[in-house]
Amino acid sequence: MRRALLSAVIAAAVLSLTGGIAAAHANYVKSNPAADARLTRPPTEVRVTFSEPPDARGSDLAVLDIDGKRVDVRDVALVSDEPNTLRVTLGAIADGGYLVSWTALSTVDGHVTKGAFGFALGDAPLPKIPDIGPSALPPTALEIAGRALSYAGMALLTGLAFFTMFIRVPASGAERRRERRLVIAGGAVLLLGSALLLLGQGANIPGRLLGLLGLRALAGAAAIALVAVPARFLPEDARREAIAFLGLAAGLTATLVSHAAAVGDLGDVAVDYLHVMAISVWLGGVVAFSYVAMPSARGDDPRELGRTIWRFSLTALVAVAVIVTTGTLASFDRLVLFEDLIETPYGIALLAKIVLLVGLLGLGGLNLLVWGPRMRRGLAAGAQFWRGVMGESALFAGVILAAAFLTAFVPPAQASAAAFDETKHVSGIRVQLLAASTLPGRNRFVVRVQQGLTSITGAEKVALRFTMVEHDMGELELVAAERAPGEYVAEGSPTAMFGTWKAEVIVRLAGRSDVRALFTVPISPAAGQDATTKIVAVPPYQLIVFADPFQPQAGAPITINAVVVDAKGDPVLGKKLRAAFDGPATVAPLDAVENVAELGPGRYRFTVPGLEAGSWKVTIGVDGAGSGVYELVVLR
Amino acid sequence: MTRLISFVAATLVVATSFIAFAGTAAAHERRTVGPYQLVVGWLNEPAHVGFMNSLDLRVTDTRVTPAKAVEGLEKTLTVELRTGGLAPLPLTVTARFGAPGAYNGYVMPTATGTYIFTIKGKIESLDVNETFESGPGRFGDVESTDALQYPNKVPMADDLGKRLSDLQGAVDQTRIFALAALVVGIVALGGAAMMVRRR
Repeated sequence: MRRALLSAVIAAAVLSLTGGIAAAHANYVKSNPAADARLTRPPTEVRVTFSEPPDARGSDLAVLDIDGKRVDVRDVALVSDEPNTLRVTLGAIADGGYLVSWTALSTVDGHVTKGAFGFALGDAPLPKIPDIGPSALPPTALEIAGRALSYAGMALLTGLAFFTMFIRVPASGAERRRERRLVIAGGAVLLLGSALLLLGQGANIPGRLLGLLGLRALAGAAAIALVAVPARFLPEDARREAIAFLGLAAGLTATLVSHAAAVGDLGDVAVDYLHVMAISVWLGGVVAFSYVAMPSARGDDPRELGRTIWRFSLTALVAVAVIVTTGTLASFDRLVLFEDLIETPYGIALLAKIVLLVGLLGLGGLNLLVWGPRMRRGLAAGAQFWRGVMGESALFAGVILAAAFLTAFVPPAQASAAAFDETKHVSGIRVQLLAASTLPGRNRFVVRVQQGLTSITGAEKVALRFTMVEHDMGELELVAAERAPGEYVAEGSPTAMFGTWKAEVIVRLAGRSDVRALFTVPISPAAGQDATTKIVAVPPYQLIVFADPFQPQAGAPITINAVVVDAKGDPVLGKKLRAAFDGPATVAPLDAVENVAELGPGRYRFTVPGLEAGSWKVTIGVDGAGSGVYELVVLR
Repeated sequence: MTRLISFVAATLVVATSFIAFAGTAAAHERRTVGPYQLVVGWLNEPAHVGFMNSLDLRVTDTRVTPAKAVEGLEKTLTVELRTGGLAPLPLTVTARFGAPGAYNGYVMPTATGTYIFTIKGKIESLDVNETFESGPGRFGDVESTDALQYPNKVPMADDLGKRLSDLQGAVDQTRIFALAALVVGIVALGGAAMMVRRR
């Protein structure tokens, strides 16, 4: 037992050295220029950051003008100073709309994802984002077969080794022969599965994945080779420990390319590994019981068989507890909504796996509670038990297949750069709201609308209505425009004050009532976000001041927004605000405009035609009170 | 004495009307179309689900001072009302008695939410095709009566519909579970029967 544990630790240590923690699908996180950015100067390069390391060889960033002509110099490369980021150099580009079409090959399991975003230079309109199909390509039959065979091989090697070491040591020559045959089968299946996965990846396979799949194949080949070693050089118990080590190592290669690793948390990786091992011990053990032990045990005293069943059932019980616990923990991370179980490919595969495991649990329960006790009492129940074990073996194949699909599909919970990201399910429609920032001031809101697995394009209207919980700041509406299939974007500064905001997303679709999803968005100053929004104290009031655009540029119009609140935080109406500018040039003082109907209560707006580049001190005075200073940096 | 009571009562009615009218006007959308100003909203605001209400349309000609009410539009304008993406309901436009330039189109909204009036036709010689949607800064959405009900909450039409729909969903789900349980039960019984026979 101690040696087996030591083997597992060594396997984990060795394989951990082959690469850091990574993920299974490279998704867009952020870019420079940002999606839908309006630039006044042409960028020299485009950078896109993904949720996990992309492989530069199999990935691409294509920057296209409105005629579809590439304007980059095709030198896509990884960036050394920014993790998970690809860059491409741009040639000289004129004012206009540009589309960045990206393809990312995950270095972890070789999955390909793709997408597009646009930006505009000058006053040109933003380009239309084309419908390029699903972000992650569906898995191929070769991949599913490779995964299923790999998992079956891992389970056979691990489960068999565990069974023959701790449940029933093969006593007869015939039993040992069957054990060896099963090791060969497990090793061959593992080898074949790994080979299919390598074949499916082709020449573009990332180095890390090549290494891990190679090690997995090596584990299968080593298991076969161990069988050929004569017993005088390698005793049976040592061989079993070595096979257990190979099974554990192969399982670790699966975990290191799994969705769990995508989270980047060692705890998630450990949970996934425990899950894989528990399933392997249980399922591989069932096959070992039926193929290795049963033919010999059928002639034994039923009491002896009953005791074996009892030991295995206890092991299975522990395995089930581990599977349920780790599976539930993993689901919390990877599912967004309960409905994901029936609405997403990942969820459907997970549900199928759960149903099959419940079936297995039922059959295992019969063994533990009915047939085992009968046999321990000396009653004949071997035939029923045999049929049950055969049924379990059949379900085992189903579980392995479901796991193959599960690990190949994209989990519904995906990384994003949004400061707020929440999904609601309303009247059969999934509504996801993403906010770029949770600071008061100008913000970008993205609404993704899906029905089942399909993105909803061409919604008649998608609007967001904002109301504040703590204070009456009025109700403000932003209407979102469709920027990509099923993705609607709105920009504005409705959430101009610290506190809790209710954002109601209204989706209007032909032939049905409006879908209304209510989100609670906390707006607060937070570390790590670019805080250009400032609180300016003008006793007895406080002014929440922010500029629009977020990073003003020289010569371009700037709007300075001020929300005036009293000591209780309630908006203050009917004040006269005046701004005086002190900076690189002379600018005449400006009076603020208050328009409650359009801007909302307590909101004032200074419209500045343009400022020179540099640091400005804007002194804002409130009639009947004092004044305060807002510092503004205008970019060149 | 009776005269005094009548006078006070009449004064109260007028004052109340002013107050009510002032509130209503504030929650209307004003829009200039050509030389005309259109003011659109609900006749009774806030509009509540399950209660009779009406389009409140007022049209004035701004070319003269003070603006002149435009009459006779019940013959030249058509109004449709819709909520969400549902098929629109044509409203019967009628001139409001005693209020020149004001028009009604009665309806009882049976769902909460955003409503859209589409006004088409002619105002004198001008072709119009305008859409007025309830919402912030315009006129109010149709609201639930939940907050106003006391002491018992009575579900209104749309709530009832939603509840019936939810109930139907639950019944469907239960039916699926029952069928699954039946299948499992039959399989289990069959298995048990086979085992008993073999013993």
